[in-house]
Formats: sequence, C-alpha cells, structure tokens
Amino acid sequence: MGFARLLSIRLSHLRASWLLAILMLATSASAVQAAQLRISLQDAKTGLPLEDAVVEVHLPIVLQNEFSSTSEYSVDQVEKEFIDNVTVVNVGSRVFFPNSDDILHHVYSFSPAKVFELPLYGNGRSVDFSQIFEQIGIVELGCNIHDWMLGYIYVAQTTLVVKTDANGQALIEGVPEGVLSVSIWHPRSSHDSDALQHSIEFDDAQPSTLRMALSLERDNRLRRAPNVSRSRYR
Amino acid sequence: MAIFSFRSFRTRLLVFLLALMLPVLLGIYVFVNRENNQYTTDTIDSYLELGADVFDFTREEHKNTLLTITSTMTRDWGFRNAFGTGDPYTIIDAADNILLRSLGAADMMLIASMTGEVIIDTKIQGFESLEGEWLELMDLAANSMDGIGDAIINVSGVPYQITVIPLFLPTPVAWIFGGFPLDNRFTDTVKQSIVSDVSIVEYVNADEQNSRVQVPEVQVIASTLSADDQMRLTDQLQLTGMTYTDTQRILLGDGEYGTLMRPLYGQQGDPLQIVAVIQKSYNENIENLEAFQRGLLQFYLVVIGLSLVVVVLLARSVTRPILDLAKRVKQIEEGDFGQTVDVAGRDEISQLASSVNHMALGLAEKEKVRDLLGKVVSHEIAEELLSKTIELGGEEKVVTVLFADIKGFTTLCESAAPEAVLTLLNRYLSAITKVIEDNHGVVDKYTGDSVMALFGAPLNRPNDAQNAVQAALEIQACMVQLNKIHREEGLGLMEAGIGVHTGLVVAGNLGSQNRLNYTVIGDSVNLGARLEGLTRKYNTANIVSGVTAQHAPEFVYRELDLVRVAGKTEPVRIFEVIGISAAMTAAQKDELADFSSALESYRAQHWEQAIEKFEKLQQALPQSEQSASLYSVYLERMTYLNKRHLPEDWDAVFVFDRK
Repeated sequence: MGFARLLSIRLSHLRASWLLAILMLATSASAVQAAQLRISLQDAKTGLPLEDAVVEVHLPIVLQNEFSSTSEYSVDQVEKEFIDNVTVVNVGSRVFFPNSDDILHHVYSFSPAKVFELPLYGNGRSVDFSQIFEQIGIVELGCNIHDWMLGYIYVAQTTLVVKTDANGQALIEGVPEGVLSVSIWHPRSSHDSDALQHSIEFDDAQPSTLRMALSLERDNRLRRAPNVSRSRYR
Repeated sequence: MAIFSFRSFRTRLLVFLLALMLPVLLGIYVFVNRENNQYTTDTIDSYLELGADVFDFTREEHKNTLLTITSTMTRDWGFRNAFGTGDPYTIIDAADNILLRSLGAADMMLIASMTGEVIIDTKIQGFESLEGEWLELMDLAANSMDGIGDAIINVSGVPYQITVIPLFLPTPVAWIFGGFPLDNRFTDTVKQSIVSDVSIVEYVNADEQNSRVQVPEVQVIASTLSADDQMRLTDQLQLTGMTYTDTQRILLGDGEYGTLMRPLYGQQGDPLQIVAVIQKSYNENIENLEAFQRGLLQFYLVVIGLSLVVVVLLARSVTRPILDLAKRVKQIEEGDFGQTVDVAGRDEISQLASSVNHMALGLAEKEKVRDLLGKVVSHEIAEELLSKTIELGGEEKVVTVLFADIKGFTTLCESAAPEAVLTLLNRYLSAITKVIEDNHGVVDKYTGDSVMALFGAPLNRPNDAQNAVQAALEIQACMVQLNKIHREEGLGLMEAGIGVHTGLVVAGNLGSQNRLNYTVIGDSVNLGARLEGLTRKYNTANIVSGVTAQHAPEFVYRELDLVRVAGKTEPVRIFEVIGISAAMTAAQKDELADFSSALESYRAQHWEQAIEKFEKLQQALPQSEQSASLYSVYLERMTYLNKRHLPEDWDAVFVFDRK
C-alpha cells in the first residue's frame, strides 16, 4: 500500500468513529466514574516502540462538555522541522507557530479541518503567528519554503486524548466508566485497519490496557535536502 | 617463345613494368578499397549505435526535464494555492499556465487524486478515473520508492512520453501526470543532437499468435524524413525477427541508410508496438570512399608517371650506348676502324663497348697487315695467305713462270747516280708489275732488276700461258715507252730480257714457321730462269719454251733453237714470240720465213747455204744491230762448228753447260 489511499482515509475515518461513539453512548449509559487506559504501542514490523501515535477516547456528546478544555499550544520551527512533529490539541485551542530559525518560513495547511497560511515570517514579535483550531480533525502542516517540513496537529474533541512517548507508552486518566470507543492514529497508520478502532470497557476497579502492534505504511514524506544551506547562511 | 615482338627495348621495359605494376596496384586498390569500405561501414554503424544510444539518452533527458518541470512548477505556491481551492477550472488554468511556462517542454498535464479520480486533464480525453495505461503508470509510481514513474502512452493517437510525480501538500495529495508528444518536433530536436534521421513508427505485431494480422501494418507517426522516404521506410523496414541491435540497410531517396530501432512502446507480445527508427546515411561513407579513390588514383598516376619517366631514362641509358655501338659496328663493317666508342662505367654494355673498341683495333691491325701484305706480296697471294691457315708445304700445279730483267743493268748502274738508278728501277718495276697484274699474273719476287711472275698460282686460270705471253709482249712494248722517257731524261736505254715457261711446279709457303714466302719451286721454274738468261745469248727480247708456245697458240712465234741447258738432259725447243699474226707486216713475215729456211739449212749442216742465208738476213738489219743479232749468233756458231768434227748423229741441239 502506498500513497494511493491515504487521502481518502483521512477524509472518512474520523466520521466513522464519530458514528460509532454515538452508537455506544446510546446502548450503555453508565455512571460517570474515573478509569484509566494504559497504552503501549509498537511498530508491528520492527517491534520497536511506536512514538507519536495519538489515542483518543470518544465520549458521547452529552459528556463532551465535561471533558472540554481550550488552551494555548506552540508548534515551533527549529532547524527547519516542526517541533513537535505531532501536536495534540483540544478543539478551540490556539496554536502558536513561532519561528526559531534565522530564516523565514511559510507555514500552510490545506487540510479540511483547518486551511490557513502564514506567509513568510521570521522570529520578530510583530507578527501574529497563531491560529485557532475550531474543527476536530488532523491538520497537516507544511512549509512552502522547505517542502520536507511536515507536522501534524491532532484536534481532539475532548481532553481524553494522548500521544505516545518515545517508549510507545501513554496513559489516559479520568475516563468515565462504561464501554467507550477508542481510536488510534499515527501519521503512518493504515487507515482501513480494524486495529485502529477499539471498543473498550472502562471501570474504576482496574485500569484498561491498550497494548498492540500497528502495521505502518511507508513514510511518504519528502526527504530533506542535505543540510548545506544552514551552515552556509548561519 | 616470343609471343610479342617489341620494336624497342624501351617498349619492352615499359610493357614489363606496366605488366608488373598494374596488377600490384590494382590488387592494392581492391584490397584497400574493401578494407576502407568495411571500415567506413563499421564507422557509420557505430555512429548509428551511438546515435541510438543518444536517442535513448535524449528521450531520458526530455523525460527528466518533464519531471523537473512538473515537480518544480507544481510545488510553486501559486499552484499549491490554486490546487488548495479544489476548483477544477482554477486548477486547469494553473496547469495550462505551467505548460506555458515550460516553453513547450511539457505539452499536456493530467492531475488525478491519489485513488485515481481525474481532477483535471488538459487534453480532455474524457475519462473520469484513470484507466488502462494511465492506471498502470499510477500503480507503477505508487509502488516505486519515490513515487515517480514514466511510460509512453497513446494520447489521442499520438505516443506521448508521460511522467508522473505526486503533488505534496505537504503530504501527497494528487498525481501530476505530465507529457510531451513524440512528434515531428521531438524528432527534429533529437536529430539535432544525434545527427541522424529519426522516425517514430507504430506497427501491429504480427508475431502475436492470437493476432490475425500476418503482415505488420506499419505507420510513421513522426519523422525527420521526407514523405517519400517515409513511404520507402515503411515498405522496407523489417520488423519481424529483428532485434534492437541488428542494423538494417534501407534504400531511401538519396542512397542507403543504416537503420537501427529502439523500443518505445509495447511489451513483448503486445499487439501494438511503437519503435524509434534511427537512420544514418552511408553517403558520408561513399563520399569518404570517393575521396579515397580519387586520392589513390592520383597517387597511382604520379607513381606510374614517375616510373615511366624512370623507365624511359633507364632505357635510354641502355639503348643509347647500344645504338652508339650499333653505329660504330656499322662503321667498322664499312671499313672505318678509326673511331672509338666512349666507354663509361663498368656494366655489361661498357664491357661490350670496350670489346668493340678492341675488335676495331684488331680489325684495323689486320687491315693494315692486309694492306702491307698486298704491297709486299701480290694481292692474290695476300688473299691466299689471309684466307687460309698458313702452313708450310705446297701443292703441285701447272704454272706458267715469267722471268724478266734488264739486260746490261750492271753497266747501267755504273754510269748513273744511285738515286737515279733507284728511280729508274722503281719506274721499270712498277710498270712491268702493272703489266703482269693487268694480265692476271702474280709477282712472286723482285731480285734486283729481275722480276719473277707466276701465272696459275695461287689461282689457276684456263689461259695462264696466253696471259703470260701477252704480258711478255706488253713488257716489251712498255720498255719502248720507258726508253722514250729515259731518252728525254738523258738516261741510258734499257732492254728487257724475258723468259717464259709452262710446267709442273710445287706452289706453297716456303721458309720457316715465323717467316715464309709463297712461291713456286721446281725444274720448270729453273728452266724459265734459264730461258730468260738465254735471251742474252740469242740477242732476243724474249724466249718462250715450246710447252708455253703450245699452250698459247694464238701468237706468232719463231723457233729459235733446240737447246740443252745445264742440269737438263732433255733438249728444249725455244721460241721467240713476235706478236699476233694480224699485226704482222709483210717484211716481218718474209724475215721469219727466211730465218726458218736458214735454220733448216743449219740443222741439215748445209753450212755454206746456211751462212749465206743468215748473212743475207743480217745485212737486212740496221747497221747498229748487225753486230749483236740472232743471226750473228748463228753465224759465229757455224764458224765454230765448221772447225769441229760433228758426230754423225748430230741432233742440232746446242748445249749450254754453264748456268
């Protein structure tokens, strides 16, 4: 599987998980209690821990407000890369795109969740380089000057969302009891895989676990040009 | 075995040289021509292969240019922005804008989603999602490492070089297909770089078993050739069984072309195939060949010309001395021994010239000898001596011998100066020698005033005796002439005494091995000499023996006597020749008759009668001659005989005891 089907997945898979979440809410409406989800993911192919995978617990709409929160985030541009590569935000949050490099960047996104453009700007204070993300979804960040620069902003509905660390580990706390839908996303995750959607029963007594290996697609990002210009212009 | 005869040595040398040189030159020409032909053909073929490789390379370059254009242009912010709008009309305008910006390097653009839905197509081919070759190309790119692919795809009947590359926004969101047609513009461009003709040819593969087509339907899609040549190409191009490394020879309008194919479209076994046909003319080859042939022929002309000059000079160096020699030999043949031929060098001709010079010298020497010999001995003897090997010894033959000398020569010498005597003698000897030779006689030797002449040796003639008697008469006549001169010069008068005899002698070379004379010896010679001596006794000018008189009967003789000379037992009848009867006067005849009568009386011992007759004869003579005449001889003898007692059988032979 290559480039071919990536786009369609991105357009459809979030919608499907939404429907599933609503369905679950209808069937098992249980008391709101705190539960844990312990996550451990790895690359199915290499067996290595899978970093930057996002796991979200989807709540019924009635519960969503309780788990909503807006805050400010920052996606820095350091040495012509987006830091972090994957940033998880709650819907309605403001994200700043500072430029730590001594050259200009031109940040853009054509993702349906947020189309925006920050034309060439540097690290001066006068420029407003923040954007508010008001739609859930995945926003792909690019730089028109550096084609290889690729970053992701995961706009989540609630705060029950987490990104795996370098060990492929993550923990979601305060999950209400009941059977809830859980989705996994990774920049290279295979969109049509059943492994990305789970229905997990949460209760207070013991933490739930999500331990699995994901099959990843090939990394289709453009290769970075040899880092010659940096040393030249610095 | 002279099949040809040549008029001159030079011609022979020329023909030989040409016969030797022309096959060699021809052989060289054919060999070098063939090698050159092969070499230039190989060169053209290798140019052709190079051209085909450059064609592939050029197509690759064009393809890369196309990729570069599509990649670079589509990452342009304006295009990204336009694509980001999702509005097909904006996108198609942006795509057209890119095509314009490519300055013709790209001719068409098709953008499809990552799943193959056509977003825009500048060629408006009408399909909504990718199909067929387009889909194959998309899968090819999707499965490649960098998402790039290329193929030749038939776009509305024209083969297009198509490339595909993803559009990154910033992740891949669409496929950008770019293409340019393999049309005349493309072939023209390629021709500029490979300097060969290029044609794009489409055909339906007849090798396909399922195909009903047996003969490939060949169609030229694009070409740098003229329309006529395109027809020739489709007629002659071999498509079945040819590999892409086989060079074909195809005859186009202006000559033969090396032809090489390169695959463009269609896998093995596909019915439709498109190939690129690269062609290079062999004319360049032919021009090279012609230039070479011209050069070689010019070189040959120079070589042959130089050779001819050298041969002519060589021939002249040989023939000129030979002609000189021939001329010289001709001169020698004509008796001119004086010239010499220049001898330069040491070659055979020089040796020959040297030999000719020596030969001329030898001949001159011999001629000198012959000349001298002719003076020393008579011509006939000289010839005889020179004609055969000279050896001692001789042969017996009948010869008439003539002796002549001057009576009273000693007395003459006493009264004259020696120079005068010599002049006189030479004049006399020259005269009588001439007479002898005129009468075919040969002077055997001179002894003082005496001459010995031979008639019949070395060569016999039928009338030797007659010649001798004739000579004797002419010598007497000659003496009259000489005496006339002598009288004018105040010299003493000469009287010749001549003896002639015919008989068997031995003729030959006499003497030693180193020095010899041709002469005759024998009794007859002695008798001749005796007869000459007897002229003093008988007071006659000549005495001819009876044998000679018998051999030369046409003259008038008078019998002088019957004598027995010293050393001889046989008596000899001796005569005096008077002349020819036609010239005789009546007085002479009477005198001869009287003498004959007197002689008869004498022999009959009628002394008184005889004396009377002789005295009568004597008194008829002039006073000056009376005391020393023939008649006085007889008168004295009879006085002597009268006093002696003669034997009864006296034979009237008078004996001369002394020599």
